[in-house]
Amino acid sequence: MKSKVTGIGALLLLLWASAASARDWKVDAAHSTLTFTGTYQGEKFEGRFKRFDARIAYDPANLAQSKFDVDIDIASVDTANTERDQALPGKPFFDTAQFPRAHFVTTRFRKAADGRVFADGTLSLRGVSKPVTLAVTFAQAGNGGTLDVQTTLKRLDFGIGSGDWADTSMIGNAVMVRGHLLLQP
Amino acid sequence: MPLRNTDTRWGGIAQTFHWLIAALIVVQGVIGLTMVELGMTPTKVRVFALHKSIGLTVLALALLRLAWRLTQRAPREVPMARWQLAAARLSHFLLYVLILALPFSGWLFNSAANSPLEWFGVVHVPSLTRGFDPVLKSFALRTHVVLFWVLVAVVAIHVFAALWHHLHQRDDVLLRMLPLKKKSRAVQRQGAMP
Repeated sequence: MKSKVTGIGALLLLLWASAASARDWKVDAAHSTLTFTGTYQGEKFEGRFKRFDARIAYDPANLAQSKFDVDIDIASVDTANTERDQALPGKPFFDTAQFPRAHFVTTRFRKAADGRVFADGTLSLRGVSKPVTLAVTFAQAGNGGTLDVQTTLKRLDFGIGSGDWADTSMIGNAVMVRGHLLLQP
Repeated sequence: MPLRNTDTRWGGIAQTFHWLIAALIVVQGVIGLTMVELGMTPTKVRVFALHKSIGLTVLALALLRLAWRLTQRAPREVPMARWQLAAARLSHFLLYVLILALPFSGWLFNSAANSPLEWFGVVHVPSLTRGFDPVLKSFALRTHVVLFWVLVAVVAIHVFAALWHHLHQRDDVLLRMLPLKKKSRAVQRQGAMP
């Protein structure tokens, strides 16, 4: 009798919880990437953050309760160029000694008239917090799915490469950031 | 001075290639040795970019020069001891190899380092590798440095030999690579003969 009550209670709790929050996903870190495209001396270059932790609650049918919360280990930056990778963690750029991590958290999701989904949120990077909007593409595949997000940041908004390095003809201001996450139930 | 080589003198085109490349080699040597000592600043990036652009220019000039050399008849060799002739031919051959190989090794190094390559910020020059290649990068850098010092040595011999021929042997070796109207010393000596 007592166990039946507990069982019903647990079921109600579960129903309430699932109604209140969108679906929580596990992120397959080995198959997920956080990459960016910058410009250096007039040429595009690709970089990635090898370590980041994304907590994803997403349900296209329940955007109101969806949430992204991403923590990025900035020192894990890799642009496949030794000299650049030695410079990037330094004080003029990411200053990882003082700001080892970046954080992005959504504040709300919206659906545009054409059906595209956007996630508004706040990015805290190198001691600066700014509103950032991600374009969100979700594709369900069996039990899991893929989540692709994209945005373009201005590096100087966050003081990355300030002072002598502020010259945008050498290092472009716009940096396109892409996340590709493999989601598992 | 005719543009083409004559029987006794290098023509204007050959001389232009010679002295232009010589000047660029000196500039490259000074920039190259200086730039590696610079701290990581935008100035360093610009100086490296300049070194790369001049290096690519030398490579292009060297290819044109080689094509010109191979399609033109060279002036007759100045009479000299057989060993000197052999040494001159060998050092000239080495200089041609070096003015091609040195910039090429730099291009290879830059490619394997996955660094940008824009000729004077105007023309994109493609990479020779598929992106970053640490093994090839260190090999190309060592090659670039070794070839530079070999070039320094061969140029030193080349300059010493040219001056020795001019000042000691008093022959036409240096004069015929200079845009001077001066009469050949051989002709002068012949003219002075009774």
